[in-house]
Parts: sequence; structure tokens; C-alpha cells
Amino acid sequence: MRDPDAAQTVSTPTVSEDRARRFETGLSRAGLGLVPRLGRRASDALLARLLRLLADRHPRAFEALREMPDASVLIEPVDAPVALLMRVGRDLSLHALPRGVHGADEAAADAVADAVIRGPYARLLDLLEGRIDGDALFFRRELSISGDTALILALRNTLDGEDEMDLVADAASIAGPLARALPVLRRNAGPVLDRIEAARRLLPPPLRRGIERVEARITGTLPGSGM
Amino acid sequence: MDNFELICPAGTPAALRAAVDAGADAVYLGFRDETNARNFPGLNFTRQDVADAVDYAHARRVEVYVAINTYPQAGNLGPWQKAVDDAARLKVDAVILADPGLLAYAAKRHPDLRLHLSVQASAANVEAIRLYRDAFGVRRVVLPRVLTVPEIAKLNAEIDIETEVFVFGGLCPMAEGRCSLSSYATGLSPNKQGVCSPANHVRYEQRGGALASTLGGFTINVFGEGEQAGYPTLCKGRFVAGDGPAYLFEEPTSLNAMDLLPELKAAGVRALKIEGRQRGKAYIAAVVRAYREALESFAAGRPVPHIDLQAMVEGGTQTTGAYTRGWR
Repeated sequence: MRDPDAAQTVSTPTVSEDRARRFETGLSRAGLGLVPRLGRRASDALLARLLRLLADRHPRAFEALREMPDASVLIEPVDAPVALLMRVGRDLSLHALPRGVHGADEAAADAVADAVIRGPYARLLDLLEGRIDGDALFFRRELSISGDTALILALRNTLDGEDEMDLVADAASIAGPLARALPVLRRNAGPVLDRIEAARRLLPPPLRRGIERVEARITGTLPGSGM
Repeated sequence: MDNFELICPAGTPAALRAAVDAGADAVYLGFRDETNARNFPGLNFTRQDVADAVDYAHARRVEVYVAINTYPQAGNLGPWQKAVDDAARLKVDAVILADPGLLAYAAKRHPDLRLHLSVQASAANVEAIRLYRDAFGVRRVVLPRVLTVPEIAKLNAEIDIETEVFVFGGLCPMAEGRCSLSSYATGLSPNKQGVCSPANHVRYEQRGGALASTLGGFTINVFGEGEQAGYPTLCKGRFVAGDGPAYLFEEPTSLNAMDLLPELKAAGVRALKIEGRQRGKAYIAAVVRAYREALESFAAGRPVPHIDLQAMVEGGTQTTGAYTRGWR
């Protein structure tokens, strides 16, 4: 019988933490959107560095990814300008691909990969970080998959088998000063955003909509889309 | 009266830690091969993973059970017997077995190893359960999900070994261990290879706003735009018969028997099992935490709280299954 004193409390995120997470997710999506602008060679080098860093931090999962048969999975956020093509197997790699205008050309995307996972960026990030259950997302139709189902299942189970990943922090850690700033930003983001939200509610509607348009440009999304 | 034991699933080491931390009394898992009924890509435990899992769980006074619950075939007993030997060597607290030959092997080779009878054995009557107890020293039986609560109460009154029942997760409407639907469509068996609806036989395709699921080349469901989806299992397929498409066996739905805790306690049930070794650690943490809270409330004599697990269920619907409706 388990020791009742040993039970840990798993806390539910507060509204403030949720707001900070949405902000962080929006910024990271905007950062991902910039990657292809570096040019193919530079963006591949950057993503290779990120992959090496993740492999160092999660050796069990990355060893399993290298042991999988050679195949490629397209991870496609439907509300971001880029998709990620992940090759698993011996030549594990990650590439950024620009998505088509007005959403992906799904047939073309399917043609470059053995399997495709599509969904909102924030949900995909939650899934990769093990914060949310993939089956539940699939039941609610927030996530769609096509192609080799076994490959997607293997990838999902391998990544979910890791203790929680922190992809935003990992990505920031290859950007020098950002890595040092991130913990401070995270600590303060919730309360600061709460105050901004409170102030925003007092603004006249035209000004409020103007601010929302600026935010949308920064994060590469439309207001109200849940980022 | 003793409290219920809460038995929780783990498909990966991270899921095991999530289950332990969220309040499991015991966690069940399988080796990474065909010896267990959840033989899915990327899932399950190496021997070293099991050793680590036992260390982690035992340090927190949580038990570890290993499911070796598929049926070995003639001429290929080795992997199953080795799984039993390794589970004993790794000092797990129980093995969950279905095959009588394997039960005999475990009882003879490892007399101190605690044996549980898997739901895959489908032992649903007094004589069958007594036979497993007398012949192999089975200490607990996991009951198939086809019995009503009054039937479970009647059964418990006539046997002297512990019973465990499923309370949350996937709902197998067929008698476990005797289902051949998936085998018919794919040539691979849940009972022999541990794969119900094997992923390499499953395809999803968008048809406009609709989502079609196919298994072994057969279209088994088409979910309309906005309609909640389910797993691609034949027993939850939608087929055209008579007046139009309908769920002939079972709808995509999940079992949730949280409201039945008082009835299950009165029926003499010892342990409650959460299903879902194929689910992610976020599911495990949420469901185990909810059931731990419900059990603590019930044990303290308070009403069973209503805890919303709607976000986790298949097809967006929940049922108390055969426990209350006498389904066969």
C-alpha cells in the first residue's frame, strides 16, 4: 500500500500562469516563423543545434528516435507560417518548411512525409512537452493525423515517455542572452500581463482593437484565436 | 473496512512516475514485446526500465505489477517464460497472467511470486475462479467488463480471493481474451500478439470536413465535421445495416464508474483499475489524481465528488457500461 504522506500535489495552472503560457507560446511561434528567413543552410544548422541540445538533455528518447526505421514526419501547426519536417532513424534531423498561403497545401505536405500531424501551434507544443494527452486532442478533433499511423504513435509514445520537456527554454538556451532572460521573464510575465489585461479593459474599444492588431503582428496570429 | 486499492496504468517510465506521484497504490506495466496486451510502437518497458520503476515506486510504497497477459503459442514459450522469470528477478509485487500453462510455470518456478488473473482470462464465474485459485494459487482476479454490480456482489460472496474491476477508460464490450474482430481484419491478434487494431493497419483520412478511419483496408467509421472521434476498433465501428449507419456493437465511449464507488464497495470489490497504458502521462496524471481525490472523500465518509473527466474520454461520452445496464 502506498504511503499517503508521499503523495505529491500536482497543481492546476492559475489564470495568471495560463496567460503567461499563452504569451510565451505566441512569442515562440513568432520565433519559429523567423527561422526559414535565415536561409536553408542557416536554419538547418540552427535546428541541428537545437536537436543536439535536446538529445543531450533527453538521451533515452533520442536514442529511441535513432533506432526507429528511417522515416519522416511533418509536424504542421495550422496557425503558423512554417512546418517542421522531422526525420527519424539513423539520420535524425529537423528542417523548417514554409507553409502555403492561406494554410497548407495538404496534398503537397503529405507527399514530402510518411506521416503528418496537424493542429494549432499551442496544442502541438503542449503535446511535444507532454502537457496534454494526444488521444484526448484527437478525440476532440483538435489534432489530425494522416499517413503512417504506427510512425506517429511511435514518435508520440517515445516523446511522451520522457519527463516533461521544456522546448521554449531549450530553444532559448541556444540564443545566449535570451537563456538568461527567460527565467526572469517567466517569473514576471504572469503578474505583468495581469496588470496589462486589467488596464486594457479600461481602454476605449478603438484603442483596444489597435493594440490587438499590434499583438497579432508580433505573434503572427489573430486576436481571439487562443494563440 | 479496508480502502480500495487504486491500480493505475503506465505505458512509459514517465507515465509510471506520473501515476505514482498522482496517487496510485499500484502501477501495472508490460515488457516491450508481444507478451503483453498493449504491444504498441514506442510503448512499454525494457528490463532496466522495470528495475528503475520498481525502485521509484517502492521508495514511495507503491507496488508494481507486470502484465504478461497474452497467450503463448505452441513452440514459442520462451519469451513468456522469460518474462515471468525476469519479473520475479526484478522483484515486482505481482504478475498478471492469463494463460493456464504460464500460470502453472510461474506457480512452480516462483512459488513466492504473487499471481493475479488477467482480465484476458475472462474468468466470470465462481467455478472458473476457484479453479485458478486451487490449481495455481491465484490471489486476485481481474473481472471482465461484462458483469453487473449485483452479479459481482454475488460472485464475491461465493469466492475467497480478491477481485479487481475496471473503473475508468476504454470499454471492451467483448469478453476479453476471446475477441477475434481485430484479428479478422488485420491477421494480428490482441490475444496472441497483444495488438488490438495494430497501428500499422490503421489509416485516417480527411474527406472534406469528415474524418474517416480504416482498419486493414476496411472503412470502419466516418466522423462528421465537429463530431467527436474514437479509436479505430471494429467493436466501435459504425456500419450500414438496415436503415443506415449505426453502432452495432458499442459506441465510441469511455467507462467511468466513479459514481458507483459505494455500490462496488458493498459488492466486496478489493481493487479498482484505471485503463490506458497507451495514453499519455497527462491523461494518467489527471485521471489518477481525480480518482485519488474521490477515494479519499469516500473513505472519509463524505459523498463521492463529481470530478469532470469529460476532456479525457473517447468519443466525448461516458458510460457505466455493464455495471448498471445489464449489457451482454
